[in-house]
Amino acid sequence: MSLPPGFRVDVLEGARIAVFSLKANRLRTVLTTLGIGIGVATLLAIVGIIQGLNTSFHRQLAGFGANTLYVSKFPWMMKGDWWVYRNRKNFTMEQVDRLRSLAPFLSAMSPYVQRVSDVAHGGEQMSTVRITGVRQEYLSIAGYEVTGGRFITDADDEVTRPVAVVGADVADALFPGISPVGRTIRIDNRSFQVVGTLSRKGKIVSESLDLVVFIPFKTFYSSFGKGRGFEIALAVEDAAQVKRAEDQLIGILRRIRSTPPDAADDFSINKPEAMAQTYEQLTGALYGVAVGVGLITLLVGGIGIMNIMLVSVRERTREIGVRRALGARKRTIVFQFLMEASSVSAVGGLLGTTVGLGTAKIVSLITPLAADVQPGTVIGGVGFAALVGLLFGIWPAARAANLDPVEALRYE
Amino acid sequence: MSDGSSAGPLIQVENITRVFHVGGEEVRALRGVSFGINRGEWVAIIGQSGSGKSTMMNVLGCLDTPTSGRYMLNGKDVSRMSDDELAVIRNVEIGFIFQTFQLLPRETALANVELPLVYRGMPARERRERARAALDKVQLTPRIHHKPNELSGGQRQRVAIARALVSEPSMLLADEPTGNLDSATGEEIVRLFEQLHQAGHTLVLVTHEPKLAARCPRAIRLSDGQIVADGVGRDVALGTAPVVLAAGGA
Repeated sequence: MSLPPGFRVDVLEGARIAVFSLKANRLRTVLTTLGIGIGVATLLAIVGIIQGLNTSFHRQLAGFGANTLYVSKFPWMMKGDWWVYRNRKNFTMEQVDRLRSLAPFLSAMSPYVQRVSDVAHGGEQMSTVRITGVRQEYLSIAGYEVTGGRFITDADDEVTRPVAVVGADVADALFPGISPVGRTIRIDNRSFQVVGTLSRKGKIVSESLDLVVFIPFKTFYSSFGKGRGFEIALAVEDAAQVKRAEDQLIGILRRIRSTPPDAADDFSINKPEAMAQTYEQLTGALYGVAVGVGLITLLVGGIGIMNIMLVSVRERTREIGVRRALGARKRTIVFQFLMEASSVSAVGGLLGTTVGLGTAKIVSLITPLAADVQPGTVIGGVGFAALVGLLFGIWPAARAANLDPVEALRYE
Repeated sequence: MSDGSSAGPLIQVENITRVFHVGGEEVRALRGVSFGINRGEWVAIIGQSGSGKSTMMNVLGCLDTPTSGRYMLNGKDVSRMSDDELAVIRNVEIGFIFQTFQLLPRETALANVELPLVYRGMPARERRERARAALDKVQLTPRIHHKPNELSGGQRQRVAIARALVSEPSMLLADEPTGNLDSATGEEIVRLFEQLHQAGHTLVLVTHEPKLAARCPRAIRLSDGQIVADGVGRDVALGTAPVVLAAGGA
């Protein structure tokens, strides 16, 4: 005996017996496997879909630019009483100009104002288009590319030209197959000449960023009513400066808005990044619940494994007795049953992974949700299933090993 | 076997007792048993049911440990060993032959015979070779790939004997080896035992059949957990051997 009697024998023999026994009880194996498989499939499908949601959300958010800030009366994620925000004073153009001179660290800045309208060209009409009044610098903040013509310029704004730059959705719907540049669109019965088109940006959550028309800021006011408050879009050179810029902005804004020292800020500084955090909190909770459901399913599967292993131990009592009589240690018997339990589970895990990924894939094909499964998830799925089997196999395996060999040999 | 512990008897049992607790009651299955068995001996342990012979067999086979007393096997005190140590002793020192054969039903004859060597950690090729040789010794070479349910009772017992032989143990321990066989097949098995005895193997055979015990050179009769006779097989089996006292040595 040159080999230390031990681990190798336990593992090799355990694995051999496990495969043997699983093959011998095919139907039972398949049924037991299903339990674990369904658990893993549920878990993976949910995780895949949520990961997909997250990825696409972040991709969309990245389009906003991590170096941008939006100053408004309203916070994007509203907490508490809406009226408190509603009653804040509107921004004025004088404040915009002062902000410009007091905040040289801003690389771009543009007030903007929005409404939703119908847009028409010839016989074609599009409803719920977001009409946004902006200045020239808005382009670099919003992150669109001009694909034809030009963007709104400050000169347009100065003289309130009735010009418009259309988003990709509007261009496609109103000008199928032709270039919109140079043509005229009607917004609420006012005519605007199209001077440029924009690249496609996709959707954020469910809202299209391409269902937009940009017009000069002043033109917006002269065309669509006064008294409407506006917001200010800002950009800094580098995303790393956002935090510092925000702190400085608070001071500057309080000053130019003459906020009393003891009063709270009467404005909100919004960041896409903060939106991401809120979003993550939201999906995090969903994630937790979904994973919980998957885990419960796995737990049920695990109990199934335990049940079948107990049956298996009982059926093979004599075999255990024989093995013990011929020199198998308790440890070897424990290993044998643990291997069996974890291989059933691993097979279930593999099955579940396939089904789960398939489901996620199908969901991404037939719904707008983009499922996205990282490779680690697959390995995790199989490994986790095996671990569940291992855990639920411990008790049956210990029972098998602790059988009295004399009694076991006599078992009928 | 090439161990150096050949001095003294192979088996030395000293004042062994075994007490079971069944439903709050004490059952004294062995009440101070002492004997010795030398290398190469063929000994029957005989007794009625309830005489303690099964308990004796379990203790001798290291499947059970005595409540008190000492059991020396091949120079080692096995009466106080741990569960794991006993597993090794069973693997190395003892070849079991059971009344009901106790083969693994789903494995082939060859795989069944290999089993003790698996637990010894022997490489597959070597253990296959040894298993083939052992099956050859019991004239089962043509049937090595059959499963137990494809074999007759006699053939199954031969597989079991091959399994007991393959690990080259110090002793073969047989429990009613002909109990489940018809008389002709039983006779074949007994002849096989005779051959093994002549080849120098130590055989301990536990039985309730006087006819079988009479074939053994030596027999020990147990009654009520004590030795009541120890002598030439035929005499003990027929009741003509001298009665020994329970406390008497070998």
